[in-house]
Amino acid sequence: MLDTALAGLVNGSSYALLALGLSLIFGVANVINFAHASVFAVGAMSGWWFSVDLDWPLWAVLLGVTAVTGLLGLVINVIAVTPLAKAPPIAALLSTFAVSVVVDNGAQLVFGPETRRFPALLATDNLGLGGLRFGTLDVTILVVAIGLMLVLGWFLRASRYGRAIRAVAQDRDAAAQMGIPLARVQNLAFVIASVLGGVAGVLGGMYLNNISPTVGSTVGMSAFAAATLGGLGSLPGAVAGGLLLGVVEAFGVSWWGGNARTLITFAVLLIVLWVRPSGLFGKRAPLAAEPMTGTFFGAARTVRLRPWQVAVAAVAAYVVPAVALDDYTVQIGVQVVVYAILALSLTLVSGQAGQISLGQAAPLAIGAYTSALLTTATGLDFWLSLPISGVVAAVLSVVLVSPSWRLRGHYVSIATLATGLLVAAAAVNFDWLTNGPSGVSAIPPPTLFGASVSAPLAVYFLDLTILLVVLLLVVRLRRSTLGRIWSAVREDEVAARSSGIAVADYKSLAFGIGGFVAGIGGALFAQQYGYIDPSVFGISVSLLALTIVVLGGLNSPLGAVVGAIVLVGLPEALRMLQETRMLTYGLLLLAVVLFRPQGLMGKVAR
Amino acid sequence: MISRRGLFVAAAGVGAAAVLASCGRLSGEQATAAAAPAEGPIFFGVSAPLSGSSAEYGKIWRTGFDLALDEINGAGGVKGRKIELLWEDTQSDQKQSVPVAQKFAGDNRVLAELGDFASPASMAASPIYEKAHLVQFGFTNSHPDFTKGGEYMWSTSTTQQDHAPELAELANSLGKKHAVYYINTDWGKTTWKLYEEHAKKAGFQIVHSEAVQADGADFRPSLIKGRDAGADVVVFIAYYQAAALLTQQAKNVGLGQAKIALPSSAYSPQYLALGGEATEGAQVIVRFHPGDPRPEVRDFVKKYQDRYGKQPDDFGAGAYDALKILAWAVG
Repeated sequence: MLDTALAGLVNGSSYALLALGLSLIFGVANVINFAHASVFAVGAMSGWWFSVDLDWPLWAVLLGVTAVTGLLGLVINVIAVTPLAKAPPIAALLSTFAVSVVVDNGAQLVFGPETRRFPALLATDNLGLGGLRFGTLDVTILVVAIGLMLVLGWFLRASRYGRAIRAVAQDRDAAAQMGIPLARVQNLAFVIASVLGGVAGVLGGMYLNNISPTVGSTVGMSAFAAATLGGLGSLPGAVAGGLLLGVVEAFGVSWWGGNARTLITFAVLLIVLWVRPSGLFGKRAPLAAEPMTGTFFGAARTVRLRPWQVAVAAVAAYVVPAVALDDYTVQIGVQVVVYAILALSLTLVSGQAGQISLGQAAPLAIGAYTSALLTTATGLDFWLSLPISGVVAAVLSVVLVSPSWRLRGHYVSIATLATGLLVAAAAVNFDWLTNGPSGVSAIPPPTLFGASVSAPLAVYFLDLTILLVVLLLVVRLRRSTLGRIWSAVREDEVAARSSGIAVADYKSLAFGIGGFVAGIGGALFAQQYGYIDPSVFGISVSLLALTIVVLGGLNSPLGAVVGAIVLVGLPEALRMLQETRMLTYGLLLLAVVLFRPQGLMGKVAR
Repeated sequence: MISRRGLFVAAAGVGAAAVLASCGRLSGEQATAAAAPAEGPIFFGVSAPLSGSSAEYGKIWRTGFDLALDEINGAGGVKGRKIELLWEDTQSDQKQSVPVAQKFAGDNRVLAELGDFASPASMAASPIYEKAHLVQFGFTNSHPDFTKGGEYMWSTSTTQQDHAPELAELANSLGKKHAVYYINTDWGKTTWKLYEEHAKKAGFQIVHSEAVQADGADFRPSLIKGRDAGADVVVFIAYYQAAALLTQQAKNVGLGQAKIALPSSAYSPQYLALGGEATEGAQVIVRFHPGDPRPEVRDFVKKYQDRYGKQPDDFGAGAYDALKILAWAVG
C-alpha cells in the first residue's frame, strides 16, 4: 500500500513539474502549450548528454539543462506564441503543436532515435522506512518538485516580476494599461515554465531510467490531465493535480492492471471536469469567457467560390485522377478524401458551433469499429453498416460529451481530448467487443453492382462521392436557421441564451451531426484499410483533423478539403527529404499558422 | 445563366464519363504491370519507420540490410545483377504505409517488398501488395493473421507456439512462483496465452500475471503486486526497451532477489546497455545468438562488429537474413 502510494507520488512529481509550467503559461498567455512535452524530452536528452558524454556532476547538469530549456522556452514564445497574440487562442495552440513536431523531430536528428539509459545520479534503494524501500532519488524528486513550487509561489507573491506575471494572468488589458511590459513578462513566464519542464525531464529521466527523443509524449498527456485536474492557471492546483493523478494512477494500475493506465487517467479527468468544471482548485470561470475561436470570424471572411468554380473543381476531382494520375497518387487522394470528411465534421462542431474539439478521432473510431465489426462478425452489407456507423457514432458522441456542456473555451478542448483518448483506451481494454490490441482484420471491401470496390480509383470515386454529399450537407446546414443558431452560440453564448436559445441542446446537435459525419468517415476508413486496431485512432488523428480545419479556414467547408489536400498530401510530397521529412513538415505547418492564421480559405475583412 | 442544379447534373455526367473511361482501373485486378526490366539492378522496396517513435528499429534494419547488400553485391549480385533497396519512411503508420505500398506496386522495377515494422502498418498495406502480385515480406510481423492476408504475404517471424512453452520451462527452472508481465499487444497477449496453457499443463504455479502498456514508462505499481504475491521468478514478455525498464524497476521495488526470464525479442545488447546492473543474471530464450558456433553466424557477427562496433541483435540479424532470403528467392 505505502510503496504503491510512494511510487505514485514520485511519478506524480514529474506530472506536477510539467503541469506547473503548463498552468503558468496558460495563466499568462492563455495558450495550451503543446510544445511543453517536447521541452521535457529536450531536458531529458540534454541532461543525458551533459551527464554521460560530458561527465558533469548533477548540479552542473541541472544548470546546463536550465540554460538549454530556458532558451528553448524563450524561442518558442518569441517565434510561435507572441506573433499570434491577436489571433484567436486556437491559432497559438496549433503553432505550439507545430513547434512540438519540429522539436521532437529535430531532437531525433540531433541525438539519434535510440532509447538510452539515463544514469541514476543518485541512489535508488538505499533508504528504508518500516519495510518500505526507497532511495535518495525518490526523496530528491519529491523535495525538488515541492521546493520549486514553493520558490515559484514566493517569487510570484513577493518579487516585482512575479507580481507582474500574476497581474497579467488576472487581466491582460488592465495590466498593460498599468504599464506592465507584457512582452517581457510573457517571455519570463515561458522561460520559467520551460526550465521547470527541463528539470522535470532530468528528474523524470533518472526515475524512469530510459529516455528517447519521444519520451515526452506519454508523460505530456498525463501532465495536461494533471494541470486541468488542478484547475488551469492555478499553481497549487497544478502540483496537487500532478501528485493526485500520480497516486490515483498507481492505485488504479494496482487494482485494474497496467494496461488500464490511460483509461484511468482520462476517466478521472473527465469525471472531475463534470463535477467541478474549473478543476479542483480553479476559480469558477467567468461566464463571459472569450470563445476559443475569439474574434476570428469578425476579422476573417470565407473566400467564396462561385458555383461554376465549385462545379469545375468537382468535375476535375473525378476526371483528373482517372485520366492523369497513377495509382499511388490516387491512393493519397483516397486518404485526403477520408480526412476531408473527418475535417468537415469538425467544420460543423468547431467552425460553426465554436466548440473546439481535440477528440474527433473518437467518433471516427466508433464509426470504424461499428462498420468493421458489423461487416466481419455479422456479415452485414457495407452499405447498411454505413448509416448505422454514423448513427452509433452520433449517439455515443452526444452521450460522451454531454456532461461537458457546462464547460467553456479551453476546457471544452481538454474534455474532448480526454474523450478521444478514452475511446482509444476503451478499444484496447474492451477485448470482448473490439478484440483488443489485435484489432479487426479481413474487413471485406464494399461491393457495388456486384463488383468489389477495392482498386484505388474505385475506392476514390466512392469516397469522393460521399465527400461531395457531406460537403453539400454542411453547406446547406450553414445557411439554414440551425446554422445561424449555431453561429449565435459560437459568437456569444450569453446573448444566445438570453434570446431563448437552448444552448446545450444545440451544442449536442452539433456534436451529434458532426459525430454522424465522422462516423461515416470511420466506416470508409475501415473498409479502405481492411484492418483497424486501437493504435490507428490516436491523439495524432484528432490533432491532424483540427489542424486541417484551422489551416483551411475554420468557417469554410471548402477549407476543410483544401486543408486535407495540403496536410495529408504534404508528407507524401516531401518524401525525397527522407529523414528530415517530418521536421520540414513541422516547419511548414508553423509557417502557415504564423503567416495565415485565418486559414488558407479565409481572408481578412477590412 | 446555367442553374446550380444544372451544373451538378453536368458534373455528375462528366463524373460518370470518367468512370467509364477508367473502367480498366476500377476492376481491381491490375493489368500485370509492364514486365520488370531484365537488366540493370534488381530493386526491393523497404517500407520502414525512419522517423517517429519506432525510428530506431528502422535504423537497426539498415545495419543488417547494408551488410547483406555488400555481401551479395560484392559477390557479383544475383545472376550478375546488383541488388538495390528503395527506402520509404512510413513511421510504421498505416496512413503512410498504404500509399507507399501503392507506390511500390506502381513501380515496375520493384520485385518484392520488405516490411513494414509493425503488424498493423503491414496488414493495412497487404491488400495492395496482394492485388499487385508483389511479395510483402514482413519479417518482423508476428500477428497471427498477417500471413492470412493473401498469397503474397510472407514472414519469418517465429510463431509463439514454440517459443512460449520454452520460455515457461526456462522460468520454471529458475523459480517456482512465476510472475508474468506482458505488453498489451497482440504479440504479447498471444505469447502469454500460450505460456499460460503450457504452465497449466505442466503444473507450474503462476502467482501473478498482468498486461502492461507497451509504451509505458512507470511500471512500479504493477511490479509491487508481483512482489507482494511472493514471486521468485519474473517473466517480461516485451521488447528490449520495455524489458529493460521493467527489469530496473523490478529491482527498485524490491523484486531484486527474483530471477528474470525473457523471450527472444528482449535479446539485444541494448537490453544490457539500457538496463545496466539490474540485468545481471537475467536469462533469455533466443533464436539468434552471436555466440552461435555455426560458421555463417560467426562470420556475420564478425562483419557486423567490424563495421558497426557493436554486437548485432535480433532485429539486425533478422534484417540481414530477410534480405539474403529474398535475394536467394529471386536468384
